[in-house]
Amino acid sequence: MKIYISGLYCGTNPQPGVGIARSLRGAYPNATLVGVEYSNRCSGVHWQDLDDVWLQRPWEELNLADHADQIRKVLDAGGLWISSIDLEIMWLGSAFPEGHPNLLVPSLPALQKVSKPAISAHKDLPVKIPTFVTTELSDWDLHAFCREHNWRVWLKGPYYEAVRVRSWTEFVTMRNVLSTAWSTDRLYLQTHVSGYEESITLSAYQGELLHCVAMRKRDLTEMSKTWAGDISEVPEEFVSALRGVIKTLNWSGGAELEMVRDSQNQLWLLEVNPRFPAWIHGATIAGHNMSALLVEAVTGEPAQKSPAISEEFTRVVLEVPVRPELPLSPLPEPLAGRVGHSLKHPSGLLQFANRLHDLNVFNHEDDAAANIENGNNGNGALPKTDTANVPTSFVDDLTHFDLGQIETPSFLFLEKTATGLFNKAQALSAELSTEDIKVTNAYSIKTNPDERLIRLAHESGFLAEAISLLEVKKALDAGFNSDQIILNGPGKWWHKEALPEGSLYSVFCDSMEDLTRVVEEYNSGNLKTRVLGIRLRTPNISSRFGIPIDTPEAFQMLVGAVRNLPRDCRFGIHFHMASSNVGVGQWWHLFESMLKWCSSIEALGGRTIEVLDIGGGWFPEDLAKNSGDRFRKAINLIPEFLPHVRQILSEPGKAIAQPSMALAMQILEIRNSYGETREVVVDGSIAELPMYFFYPHRILSRDRQSGAWKSLNRGKTHLLGRLCMEHDIVATNVELPQDAEVGDVLVFCDAGAYDRSMSYVFGRG
Amino acid sequence: MFLDAVKKTTESNTNELFENGFGSHTAEEVYTKWAQWQPSLISHHGDMCCEISREWVTAMDFSELNGEDVLTGPRWLREKFHWGCSTFPIFWCEAVRKSILDCGALAALAHEVFISRGVKSVRVQLVQKFSKNSTRQWASNWHDGNTQLEWVNEDLIYHEGCAVVLPDNKIKIWDASAGWWVDPKQRNGYGSVVAVRLFASSNNGAETGFTWGDHHLTVNFWQKIAQVSESFAV
Repeated sequence: MKIYISGLYCGTNPQPGVGIARSLRGAYPNATLVGVEYSNRCSGVHWQDLDDVWLQRPWEELNLADHADQIRKVLDAGGLWISSIDLEIMWLGSAFPEGHPNLLVPSLPALQKVSKPAISAHKDLPVKIPTFVTTELSDWDLHAFCREHNWRVWLKGPYYEAVRVRSWTEFVTMRNVLSTAWSTDRLYLQTHVSGYEESITLSAYQGELLHCVAMRKRDLTEMSKTWAGDISEVPEEFVSALRGVIKTLNWSGGAELEMVRDSQNQLWLLEVNPRFPAWIHGATIAGHNMSALLVEAVTGEPAQKSPAISEEFTRVVLEVPVRPELPLSPLPEPLAGRVGHSLKHPSGLLQFANRLHDLNVFNHEDDAAANIENGNNGNGALPKTDTANVPTSFVDDLTHFDLGQIETPSFLFLEKTATGLFNKAQALSAELSTEDIKVTNAYSIKTNPDERLIRLAHESGFLAEAISLLEVKKALDAGFNSDQIILNGPGKWWHKEALPEGSLYSVFCDSMEDLTRVVEEYNSGNLKTRVLGIRLRTPNISSRFGIPIDTPEAFQMLVGAVRNLPRDCRFGIHFHMASSNVGVGQWWHLFESMLKWCSSIEALGGRTIEVLDIGGGWFPEDLAKNSGDRFRKAINLIPEFLPHVRQILSEPGKAIAQPSMALAMQILEIRNSYGETREVVVDGSIAELPMYFFYPHRILSRDRQSGAWKSLNRGKTHLLGRLCMEHDIVATNVELPQDAEVGDVLVFCDAGAYDRSMSYVFGRG
Repeated sequence: MFLDAVKKTTESNTNELFENGFGSHTAEEVYTKWAQWQPSLISHHGDMCCEISREWVTAMDFSELNGEDVLTGPRWLREKFHWGCSTFPIFWCEAVRKSILDCGALAALAHEVFISRGVKSVRVQLVQKFSKNSTRQWASNWHDGNTQLEWVNEDLIYHEGCAVVLPDNKIKIWDASAGWWVDPKQRNGYGSVVAVRLFASSNNGAETGFTWGDHHLTVNFWQKIAQVSESFAV
């Protein structure tokens, strides 16, 4: 009996080859075990249980047709081939489309059915698939997906690698890394599932499930790979379903279902590896020799019994002698003075992936169809479109500009859009108000102090929220009365000479020191306000604003201060965390959490809370999407915690201002492309788009023939800003029209909030 | 089939007093020393000082939950408080200001936060097996080695946790000192649970008892958690 085992990499993220060899050696002491590798840097080639090593040239230079011929000879001669390399298994599927009785890998159609993220074969199993989207969607939609899922998302490569991304900057960086590494934009984002990782490994031959066992991870490496685990039987209902799936797929070989069990005991399937897992010898230690079962099924030769030594296994690091015929190679020189000698993927798997792309091994159309079809739990991919939708009001507003006459870069005020958004916000607040609780909008002046927006806010019945007395003055100049102004923030007394004589609507204190001072000023008559309040610092989300409550001492001090507040004004509480940063779901949890804190403060401080300012920071789409339902639920929730609240203040400034302005810029230079990427220089820059790093902007260009404005698709062009700054790149991976010319105007939408207010003068002489 | 794993045999029989399958301990020795002990409590002064502290714990817990499921273990408590010696009675206003709390105080806090989340929770007493070296170390650290620790008996220790009640009267036991769910798949050896006692009132599952993994646990009685030690000796 001769068994070829490939995949002998033995780093902290090892391949299973050595584990398979160890297990087979115990079951078949006289078998000839041949290790197959594509780099002598894979240290498993030196493992003692291997009788021989069939060392191939690395994947990037391997003659695949010749290699396939050699494997066929081996198989025809009676040898068995157990592959432990995902990409090799895919290639074998294409090289042996009819299969081979001794080739113990699944077929290409079977692989297609378990391709991630959809894993269409999962439908009959008692598992769910975490929600995902392909990164081929527009950046605008990808950002929305991340917000919707609270930035608890993973960016995953097509075959290997997954990185947690917590911000847009991280996402863009890692997308570039993974796309470059695997030569594809076909990555995907998948939601994180909190829970404990467990797996099921199985052994099957020609559609018959031979056996399966479950493993719970009990210790993990820093990459979340198994370091220790325990083995148990798979529940019968799962086995029964799995048996049907294996039969349908006509599966041969090993497999591993990687899952997470959440706190409600629900299993979430992350991926199906088409091979035995690296911990496979752990199952053998527990008496389940999965690879021996496979060989036994193929050959009919009984294996020696594998004793059940322990239900639990762990790993240790071992030094083993190097085979004299495979001496160690020298280390590569650190590249260009960098630290370290990268030995990741020593066998050239990245290059192998590229070759498989070129060979069109993967039928991406089927793959995409499967991923859209996905799911018995509704967690399918979004319909694929790499173009962001733009509201028609944007385009309507743009028709009023003669862009040929505008000096660029220039902010464009989209009046119709702005008016519509203010009207909509006002209508929503009226709709949400009840007999007991009035909902009032406030416009945060800092979001964009453009007088046209402040005036619209005033006309729409908003209050004005100011963070300094200079902003108070601006609000007064725009027509607000002092009792329509909310004063907030850590530097609210800056330019104290501008404090109006009349009463303010409310003052929210940012610290205990601020509170002490405000109370003194109020008691002495120097400060008049209808509502005196505090801003709470979010205890579990890092923030520099508000009064901390994250220690018992701080909380007790605050409660004491609240008890001593003046009795002749109303008491209010303000909290704020930008939902665009923390995600929509997390924001609503924060809202509820804050109600709980407020309830405690009310009960302990002996002061009824009458005004609640819930801040802003909404991304426009998030506020629009189901906003009525969500806010209605929130309003209904408030009396449960705070029965005396009569006034809710909402600050939708960002959601309104952001779409209300766009930035027009002109193409200065179109550079000849070298390779796939094209560079285009524009006269705009990050000085006008400082929020470029935090969220994507929809970009419009005008069709030369029809004159219609169209969103740019994803592509291979980078738009470089005019500044001599390395990081002044205002768009990456966009597709400019083929007939784009120097002097053409591009319009960056969504630039009306902090892009506008935080833009700075740079590089203008 | 030759590959069949040897199945574990699990017992939890209160009538079986002398065969626990662990070391040299009989079942009586396992928990007799602590038979009369009650789960630790956080006391309340009946004043604002304790009320503020209790409110702080429950509000902080909801914030720390961060939108996750209410059955998520409150590991933040263990991040805030180190495990060590506590003296009793301990009041809310004292406990929250300590940097160190013992297993009883931590379990009491965890129990409170589960209840505040609306999760049904019961208190749990445990006997765990460690090693004489470990218990000597604890004695040395807690009392300079001069005093026999009441919660230690040779290589066994008294420990406290709390359990959350799931549908079908299943429970999961939260070890607030460790910040993990206790594994009901008991295995002999270091850290293993040797005996358990659940505290529950009649309207809280006392009549039917609870299922913990493969164990059926009646409430308000010490029960040994035994496993046939030769299970894997093939």
